[in-house]
Amino acid sequence: MRQPDGSSALLTTRLDAMLAWARKNSLWPLPFGTACCAIEFMSTVSSHYDLARFGAEVVRFSPRQSDMMIVAGTITDKMAPVVKRIYDQMAEPKYVISMGACACTGGFYRAYHVVQGVDEFIPVDVYVPGCPPTPEALMEGILKLQELIQSGETQYDRLKS
Amino acid sequence: MRPVTTINVDRPQKGFGEWIYLGPILKGLGVTLRHFLRNLFGHRDVATIQYPEEKRDYSERMRGRHILTVREDGSLRCVACYMCETACPADCISIVAEEDPEATVEWEKRAVTFEIDLLRCVFCGFCVDACPKQALIMSRQHEMTFTTRTDAVVGIDELRQKGAIEDQDLGYRPYY
Amino acid sequence: MTASSPDTSQPIDFAALLPDGRGLEVAVAADGLTEITADRSRLIEVLRALHDHPELDCDLLLDICGVDYPDREHRFEVVYHLTSVAKNHRFRVRVPVGEDDSRVPTAFGIWKAADWFEREAWDLMGIRFDGHPNLRRILTHEAFQGHALRKDYDPEKRWVLTEAETFVPEWAGEDHGGDGEFESQVINIGPSHPATHGTLRIVARLDGELITRAECEIGYLHRCFEKMSETHGWPEVIPYTDRLNYCSSMINGVGYALGVEKMLGIEAPPRAQVVRVILSEFSRLMDHAVCLGATLVDVGALTNFWYFFQPREEIYSLLESCAGGRLTVSYARIGGLAHEVPTDFEEQVRYLLGRIPKFIDDVDRLVTTNRIFRGRTEGIGALSAEEAIGWGWTGPCLRACGVPYDLRRVNPYLGYEDYEFDIPIATTGDSYGRYLVRLEEMRQSLRIIEQAIDNLPDGPVITDNHRVALPPKSRVYSEMESLIWHFKLIYEGIKVPEGACYSATEGANGELGYYLVSDGTGKPYRIKVRPPCFAIFQAYPHMLEGHLVPDAIAILSSLNIIAGELDR
Repeated sequence: MRQPDGSSALLTTRLDAMLAWARKNSLWPLPFGTACCAIEFMSTVSSHYDLARFGAEVVRFSPRQSDMMIVAGTITDKMAPVVKRIYDQMAEPKYVISMGACACTGGFYRAYHVVQGVDEFIPVDVYVPGCPPTPEALMEGILKLQELIQSGETQYDRLKS
Repeated sequence: MRPVTTINVDRPQKGFGEWIYLGPILKGLGVTLRHFLRNLFGHRDVATIQYPEEKRDYSERMRGRHILTVREDGSLRCVACYMCETACPADCISIVAEEDPEATVEWEKRAVTFEIDLLRCVFCGFCVDACPKQALIMSRQHEMTFTTRTDAVVGIDELRQKGAIEDQDLGYRPYY
Repeated sequence: MTASSPDTSQPIDFAALLPDGRGLEVAVAADGLTEITADRSRLIEVLRALHDHPELDCDLLLDICGVDYPDREHRFEVVYHLTSVAKNHRFRVRVPVGEDDSRVPTAFGIWKAADWFEREAWDLMGIRFDGHPNLRRILTHEAFQGHALRKDYDPEKRWVLTEAETFVPEWAGEDHGGDGEFESQVINIGPSHPATHGTLRIVARLDGELITRAECEIGYLHRCFEKMSETHGWPEVIPYTDRLNYCSSMINGVGYALGVEKMLGIEAPPRAQVVRVILSEFSRLMDHAVCLGATLVDVGALTNFWYFFQPREEIYSLLESCAGGRLTVSYARIGGLAHEVPTDFEEQVRYLLGRIPKFIDDVDRLVTTNRIFRGRTEGIGALSAEEAIGWGWTGPCLRACGVPYDLRRVNPYLGYEDYEFDIPIATTGDSYGRYLVRLEEMRQSLRIIEQAIDNLPDGPVITDNHRVALPPKSRVYSEMESLIWHFKLIYEGIKVPEGACYSATEGANGELGYYLVSDGTGKPYRIKVRPPCFAIFQAYPHMLEGHLVPDAIAILSSLNIIAGELDR
């Protein structure tokens, strides 16, 4: 709710901050794992690194039940409509982390069947480089996403306003 | 040539004890309870590394973010020979060379721009293997995130070695 | 059925077995295979003779691929690789085919394994196989135009697929013809599905929960490895090979390096061989850990997944201290290894040898005698040995059907003939058998590693032939000659002599073969990867009929389909 001068009322900024805090601490991931990065994602949720400590306990493969899509692995032209459909089926607010060189830019596959970056058709919040990124890099990416959610600078917030 | 020796791993169900299922339940519960109790009391060898407060110690050969090394006078060692650009499988390095006005007998050129697209890079280390001057090495810094693709194209200012070589978090490089 | 060592004392007189020698040329190729160059009109006769004749007995079709030679009179060459499980001899059949009439009769009537290999040759090279039941594109999508591996196809030319163009089989609209009271339903399992381990799509027609007909679609991870290898130099293909079977990346790199070394006629030093064995066996162990962990997750037992990932993390520490990368190591080089192992290598290996058996035993105790697990996997997805060989199966899946065929014993490489280990086999051929075989193979891998680390020789880890391997950096910085070798290798690449070579190693899933063709320049002319899961997965839709949907998941995870290898 905006005031006449454009700023938000005290109550709604507090509410926004609280909502952002709640959202960032309970990001349920949808691991769209296609290739090697999916194995590193599996390592991240395993006991050695344990993504559940950040609130990402419920790893559901259903778009209706998740907030954050982690695109882990190469997306090919054959798979692209599937990714788009899954992304559209997710309920808002939704965030996308592009994990690994292939999902970010196509990596070293400058080829006839590989999408050169998943941001060709979906908006991406955080890009995590590496091939595959180490689990620490992925967790750093999630922490960065949490920062973006708290400050209200994700792609979802931009589309909303 | 050794003969082929085989082990038959067939495991038919052995009798009532396995069929009744009580034995395997208790055996299985024993395994999980042992792990649980040991983590709760006892040894404390919990496998989880509490990132970001605790960090795993990677080896000195870890292939992370690149560093462009400098000579004693502060100029880059890179002589723009294009070996790293040729060797890179991902074509993520782009170099523009020029004649170096401070050239000595040992080199003629230097790099005007040296850009690495970190989102294309597969961190294979072929560029470090290809460099004949030890101008390009890798650090152990692997936690990088970007919010846009253009942020990830790093140039000489971001790649240049900052500080003494001993203080860098050195990773993959020729001498060990 | 036993596999024996090859009897090289009497070369097979193939020409005598087929009395009419018109249109045939028989020779022994440089890589040791008997090569038959046949006219198209004689192809089926030759393949039949290879399959049916009791002395030849080629029951295992390994690979069918096409190679494009635009400068030749006959533009394409279709290449078949065959072997016999019992007699252990290998054959290559080459058939030149012109561009205007690029058709060849199908081998599907002789070996079922020809099914998907021929579809791939059609998709990527444009060679038609007359008589094939279902000649459609397999790796690229429906809207793709052109044949991607032809030399005149631009590597970066893409075609966009919209959702409307996704494939639905014709039989999807039919009724399964049951009692007419209930309708059949056609569902998609995948490609975005927790149990499809990547990107596989199964279109299944259901009667309640029973699957009456199924068809699989693959290619969702087709990353064009073979085209990328044609645009990069020989050493630069090694990072690409890491990403084939990404669960055990060292084995792919070693297999490729062995193939190129065979073509060059060089050998890696003994220390490099032993370190390659140690790291390959650790990679095999890791792959089986992921496969079994994922199988158990799909069946509902999550704890074992965590138990299996812990040894994986510890092996990652070893690989990372050797090579610098955890999963995609790029450690193998042509001529040996990238660099020397760390000084505490032996200590780390012995530590792992002490730790890993505990995790395997934990899972064994939890799962093997568990009645629920047995109920989910016993009798599910059983294939007989003849059927499995007919489909081109190799590896643990074939060994679970009772066939002790392991390339480390029948065609040893890297010094495997000097190690003592057993080959686990099961006779049931079902998912439970595959689980048991993989579990025991993990223990046998540890046995091999222990013998290898006890006998680790000293010496260099890479050949000193500087036409092949980069000189050591200390000499590059100081000597002019080494600097010149360094420059030549990076700019011009390795000049592999002209010719072709098929080199196979035992990957974690079965026979991983590389068919390498060189034209004498610094880049590969053609690399065809023979992926073990490709042959295994083509039997899957036929295995599904008559099973329930949850059984379909249990079978799929026990086959260990890695999409990076399947689709390349």
